[in-house]
Amino acid sequence: MTWNYSEKTTKLFMDAVQGRPGTHMGEIANPDGIGEHGSLACGDALRFTFRVERHPSDPTQDIIVEARYLTFGCTSAIAASEALCAIIEERRLTPIQALSITNKDIVEYLEGLPEQKIHCSVMGAEALQAAVFNWAQRRGVDLRALGVDITPEEREEGRVVCTCFGLTEPYLRRKIMELNLRSIADITNALKAGGACMSCHHKPGGLQDLLDDIWGRQPTEFKTEVELPVARLISRARSEDGLSPYQFAKKVERVLDEYVRPMLAQDGGDLEVVDIKDTLVYCRLKGACAGCVGANQTIKFMVEQVLKDRVDQRCRVIAV
Amino acid sequence: MAIIYLDNNATTAVAPEVVEAMLPYLRDQYFNPSSMYDAARGPARAVAEARAGIANHLRCRPEEILFTSCATESNNTAIIGAIRARPERRHIVTTRVEHPAVLEVCKFLVRDGFEVDFLPVDGSGQLEVEAFVRALRPGQTLLVSVMHANNETGVLFPIGELARIAKETDPGILVHTDATQTAGKLPLDLKGELRHVDLLSLSGHKLHSPKGVGALFLRRGAPVRPFLLGGHQEGGRRGGTENVPYIVGLARALELAEATHAEDHERIAALRDRLEDELTRRIPYLEVNGAGAPRLDNTLNVAVHFVEGEGMLYQLSARGICASSGSACTSGSLEPSHVLRAMAVPFTAVHGSLRFSLSRYTTAAEIEAVIETLPEIVASLRRLSPYWDEGARAPRPEGEALLRQAVEERRQRLAQQG
Repeated sequence: MTWNYSEKTTKLFMDAVQGRPGTHMGEIANPDGIGEHGSLACGDALRFTFRVERHPSDPTQDIIVEARYLTFGCTSAIAASEALCAIIEERRLTPIQALSITNKDIVEYLEGLPEQKIHCSVMGAEALQAAVFNWAQRRGVDLRALGVDITPEEREEGRVVCTCFGLTEPYLRRKIMELNLRSIADITNALKAGGACMSCHHKPGGLQDLLDDIWGRQPTEFKTEVELPVARLISRARSEDGLSPYQFAKKVERVLDEYVRPMLAQDGGDLEVVDIKDTLVYCRLKGACAGCVGANQTIKFMVEQVLKDRVDQRCRVIAV
Repeated sequence: MAIIYLDNNATTAVAPEVVEAMLPYLRDQYFNPSSMYDAARGPARAVAEARAGIANHLRCRPEEILFTSCATESNNTAIIGAIRARPERRHIVTTRVEHPAVLEVCKFLVRDGFEVDFLPVDGSGQLEVEAFVRALRPGQTLLVSVMHANNETGVLFPIGELARIAKETDPGILVHTDATQTAGKLPLDLKGELRHVDLLSLSGHKLHSPKGVGALFLRRGAPVRPFLLGGHQEGGRRGGTENVPYIVGLARALELAEATHAEDHERIAALRDRLEDELTRRIPYLEVNGAGAPRLDNTLNVAVHFVEGEGMLYQLSARGICASSGSACTSGSLEPSHVLRAMAVPFTAVHGSLRFSLSRYTTAAEIEAVIETLPEIVASLRRLSPYWDEGARAPRPEGEALLRQAVEERRQRLAQQG
């Protein structure tokens, strides 16, 4: 998958990594607002800080004058972080006005983003919201009283729908409506939800159910995903003389202890039984015998003969 | 800008000798090898000679080689063909780190009601023989499909040993190996080390022939039904007119690989080792994935903590260096590579993986260019990272805490499956 980033995106990224003047990489010490989004485990994370010019009497009139970011993520995540800071500094907004900046503004500033990378712009908008929420707490501004409804903590509350990225139903519902997401692909591109194991796509209460509930049922492509089954143990049949698998294994060990291991011990070696299936005995030579050129021959002929004679005629030994 | 191509596990440059060998069949020798007139003898003979050459290279019989369009087709033919031949067996053993051309076929078969054991690997990417033994079911297991070398890490599986254990357990178990990454890089001996292998897939474009041609070794007598149905070509086992120029190219490429193997192998290994040593020395918090396991000489897979792979690839690309990454942002999915996850690479590093894969055309100067460039690229991205302090060349406290958590998670994951 090659890159089809806009020139603007490329330039912002290259300027940022080269630390050119005018870029916004960094963290403001004692910021007036700090917000984070994403995590290292999920593959991208952004820490966004801003400083305001404080209004002497009315904190809601504070103006954001400086914005900085630290980002762990791909090319477009870094470019989107640059875009966010640049937009805010250019516009000289109050924190509440800054909330009107959406991921669409970031995409526009970047002169477009590939669809699969839209989540990078959403990450910027989310970190901004969290930072404004943090600013309001620091400055004693009651956002609710001003009719501003941001609840960053809803990400953590409620039923988890996408377990890979830890995204909850209330968060997904709000974002599906806010960003007008109409398909599972839209959701994945914008929020990453459903982009990893995909098991939440069509299960009850999963992404398709949320979409159907919000937008009404639409014809969809049928798709199921298979989870890897856990390796199963094999049931073993009873051996010739009616020994259970447990008794059979004990007998093998007893015979090996008595007739085989003392012989090997003379040469400083030992033998490990790795597994037994029916009358197949999987063995490995240890100690001094392990590197021996004739090791497998020893196992095959000496050990097998002893087990045939003393445990079960059908015994076969396999060297592993 | 000159291209420094270090993505040879993805595809390779077509060797000029291969192009030469192909040209006559792209120009005037266009006849269908199945046709009866004299003019068609040239192409028919070319296909027969290519088949004999490849058989000679792999030490098998010419009629045991089927030509296909790619390794994906070879893998599908091997697996689907094997299950069609013996409906009474419904159990398959494979690994979690196979190429999608095997993994997705096996997942599809699970949906069809087959039982598939996907074996785990340890932290260095190696299979545990105990787990393999445990998974085999005498009388029930139909197929073992285990790759020869992993495309992402280069880790080699002891396929000869595994095949012998499977056959000694039950001669009715078919053994398939995807040798896409080893064909042309290692000598493959189907009479010697690989004598218990029934099916082996390979691809042309990983060994300096063009894309669009592959082969499947199908041991005489192995019960495998045709997959691509059609004409009588390939003894009725694979329909479709022979892709004459590409088949000729594949044979020529294998011949070249064999001729230059001894010297290439040593030179490539030395270059890879130098790259590995220098990157490890110059970049703090860098892990070599598959370190400690037997590996292909040409492959280096590293994971850089606290850096995302795409940003590194992008800057490498801006300097003409082609490599690849298993990071989520480059995989087409939003998940990092299934291979690195199976190896439990810590989450602080799994998004920062880079694969460099060398070829016989790789030069020492190219490797030096990467050694000079990459540390600086890593530093540029770490300066932007909320988890890293580039001044101290160490993680910030929050990064340090995540690293401890990641290492502990890895330890638990590996202990669980061990």
